[in-house]
Amino acid sequence: MERKIKRSPLRRLTAIIAIAGCGLVIVACGGSSSSSSASSAASSTSTSGAAASSSNALRIGIMSDCAGAFGAFYNADIGGAQAYFIAHDGAKASGPAPSSGITGGTIAGHPIKIVGYGCANDTAASALREVRRLVEADHANIVIGPLSGDESIAVANYSKTQPNLTFINGTAGAQDTTLKVQSPNFFRYNGDGAQWNAGVGDVAYRKLGWRHAVVIMDDYAFGWTSAAGFIADFCAAGGTVTRLYPPLGTTDYSSYIAQIPQKFDGLFSAVGGTGTLAFLKQYTQARGAFKKNTLAGNIFLGDPAILAAIHAADVGALVGQPTNEDTTSANAAAYMSALKQAYPAPTTSLPKPGTLVSLANSVFTVNYYDAAWALDKALTAVHGDLSNGQSALHAALAKTSLPDAPYGPITLDKNRQAIVTNYIAQVTNTGGKPGIHTIYSVPNVDEAFGGLFTATTPSPGRGQPTCVKHALAWQGKEQPASFH
Amino acid sequence: MSAVANAAAAKRSGPDAVTIGGWALLAVVGVVLLIAPAIFDSYWVSQILTQALWLGIAAVSLTFLNRYGGMVSLAQVAIYGVAGFAMANVVHTLNSEGGLNLGWTPWLGVAFGIGVAVLVGLLFGAIASRSYGIYFLMITLALSLFVFYFFGQVTQLSGFGGVRSVSRPGLVGDTITHPTPLYYVCLGCSVAVYALLRYVVRTPFGVALQGVRDDPERMRSLGYNVPLHRTLAFTLGAFVAAIAGILSVWFDTQISPGSIDITQTIAVLIIAVIGGLSRLEGAWLGAIAYAVINYYARQHTPTLGLWLNPGRFATIIGIVFLLIVLLSPDGLIGIGGKIRRAIGRRYGGGGARPAESEEAGAGEQAEVPAAAGTPASGTRGGLNQRRA
Repeated sequence: MERKIKRSPLRRLTAIIAIAGCGLVIVACGGSSSSSSASSAASSTSTSGAAASSSNALRIGIMSDCAGAFGAFYNADIGGAQAYFIAHDGAKASGPAPSSGITGGTIAGHPIKIVGYGCANDTAASALREVRRLVEADHANIVIGPLSGDESIAVANYSKTQPNLTFINGTAGAQDTTLKVQSPNFFRYNGDGAQWNAGVGDVAYRKLGWRHAVVIMDDYAFGWTSAAGFIADFCAAGGTVTRLYPPLGTTDYSSYIAQIPQKFDGLFSAVGGTGTLAFLKQYTQARGAFKKNTLAGNIFLGDPAILAAIHAADVGALVGQPTNEDTTSANAAAYMSALKQAYPAPTTSLPKPGTLVSLANSVFTVNYYDAAWALDKALTAVHGDLSNGQSALHAALAKTSLPDAPYGPITLDKNRQAIVTNYIAQVTNTGGKPGIHTIYSVPNVDEAFGGLFTATTPSPGRGQPTCVKHALAWQGKEQPASFH
Repeated sequence: MSAVANAAAAKRSGPDAVTIGGWALLAVVGVVLLIAPAIFDSYWVSQILTQALWLGIAAVSLTFLNRYGGMVSLAQVAIYGVAGFAMANVVHTLNSEGGLNLGWTPWLGVAFGIGVAVLVGLLFGAIASRSYGIYFLMITLALSLFVFYFFGQVTQLSGFGGVRSVSRPGLVGDTITHPTPLYYVCLGCSVAVYALLRYVVRTPFGVALQGVRDDPERMRSLGYNVPLHRTLAFTLGAFVAAIAGILSVWFDTQISPGSIDITQTIAVLIIAVIGGLSRLEGAWLGAIAYAVINYYARQHTPTLGLWLNPGRFATIIGIVFLLIVLLSPDGLIGIGGKIRRAIGRRYGGGGARPAESEEAGAGEQAEVPAAAGTPASGTRGGLNQRRA
């Protein structure tokens, strides 16, 4: 008993410290966004009022990631989708941060009601739980999302068990999602990770004269899929490849650099995240700078942080990407003004500088915007008819194309997967300032790569796809980017 | 007096005993859970309660190891992942979506999954059984990461994005369209696991295990094979975790390396600590709290604006964890005992009597041997250190 009595003041002290600590945490977290909470509080009553009065509301759930590798793009995703509703359907943002919600807005006379946001962490299990929460607890009848590859495969599989609802992919780029799962009520208006590199291999073969390429890829699903786009394309033109697959997040690439043969025509990097810079630096330290026109890479090679740190000799490297930053097209201008109109003020919830329009060419923003656009277009075509298990909407979505999409026209194939335009950019160095400059657009890129990928071929992996010569729709048809 | 006798004394009057009131409470909870599909809406049953039940089974394997073996294991999620992956690979999957797809019947797959996980548990237990405290924690963490990276790399076993559309026995059926059967399976498994563990800790093996927990050196000098006891306890924990692994695959309809990553490892530890490491029931209480907080934290609440959003869940669960660790180290399950003792002190006049401390758990545990005249010395093993 004595021991207990002695300990109690200490316990009381720790309790006080704990409560004070928690208080501080709450104040710190709440304080940064207090301005938006007030405005959203004011508008919330009208949201619930509208929902109560209308049974024909379009109950939309938006799935994204608020944790994990892509957690930073939560508001960019939500903002992309909602910017469309704000700019074109009369909705109003409840606050500068997209995740504070929207009020009002109608499509074909039906009020838009955002029932919730899915907050996953790039794992399939988390996405499945979040989509079930949106559908089964919040009663969403239309879901926009999810964000990343494995998640989309899980959600597409789940959509098969909910045939009366509609699922439109956010920006996930796994190939299996549409090529293999083929859910009749899951639609994807963006390309997959392989489509994002279409044309790079062909240009490297034809214009740069590569015959044998070294492909280094992160040893996980996106790395393989991304590299698969280059390998399929390059081999289709007649090239051969050597593949290396360091684990994701490797910091010391020396053993992999040692495996790169002394003689090769070009190297394609599908190493992402912190690995891109580490690999490039260690390569140049070990083997000297890349010779002119011997480097290409996926979207990560064009990342501003990489460009800023990149070696001068890497200028000229080719980068495959589904959007571009130097577009001057009217469609892209209209899209950007929609983003500006919807979310004019910068917010701390978005990566610096904090405006949605600064993330316009990010796949996280534009693909969610396109998803909302396609939904709007199809719903308008069927006059908001959601009866009969949404069958009219499903049929309309399958036929919906977006000829005026910001970065090139989008149509769907028979698996309800987008056929898109891809872009090839080049790293530039104007007056010591590295930048990126789009040089080619690659039209009509389909997910199947002209039948090379099918529902029964193995998924991209360390040794997949195999290297075969093949005819592709865009071979030799890459067009110089029209906006230069 | 030997450590075994101490543990035996603890068994008779100590924190494990369930009083008549305790049994009555358990019976009420049991009845509510039994008729839950009739009183809660389908989402609550299919998602929150079902998830809490299988997460509780995963957490109770950790609670058991810590409470009776003094082992804080971070390998429980890895072991349930092994069970899940083993089963998912050998049974039939629709459209050959990842995995080996050997086409075994679901029940054979269950037996295989549990068998493989138990063998892996035996191996892991043998590796880790000679280390204590923080070293045990680190070894099990390493094993956990090893399993995660193994399935991340060996894609023949883990598929492109996990093994999906895993077929389930007819008893369970389609867990998305008809979730109630899985709920009852999880409930049945929870009851069975609870009964099994309560039984085991009362066997000579269980009592010796508690002796090993309290004073390994003394038990060794008495002729007990300490590493063997710890290895076998770890293997039993692996068996329990394996059951959770099978249920998790049925619940999610798939398993991927992401399902058994470090986040999930931490989640199971958090559940066990929130619920209370001093009593087996705490695991399920912690799991319910975790699932409910998870659900409400993720609700879109414009009235709250961006208050703690979108990382609200992690922040809230973190605060709860902090409060529990500081204010009620015996977890939520210990709060009941605390309140009862407080009432006892105020109205009973004589402070906490031994009979009132049956829910007290870890705090009182050290006092039982102390009262019996043996200094509680040399307690080893992670969280157990605070008991000394």
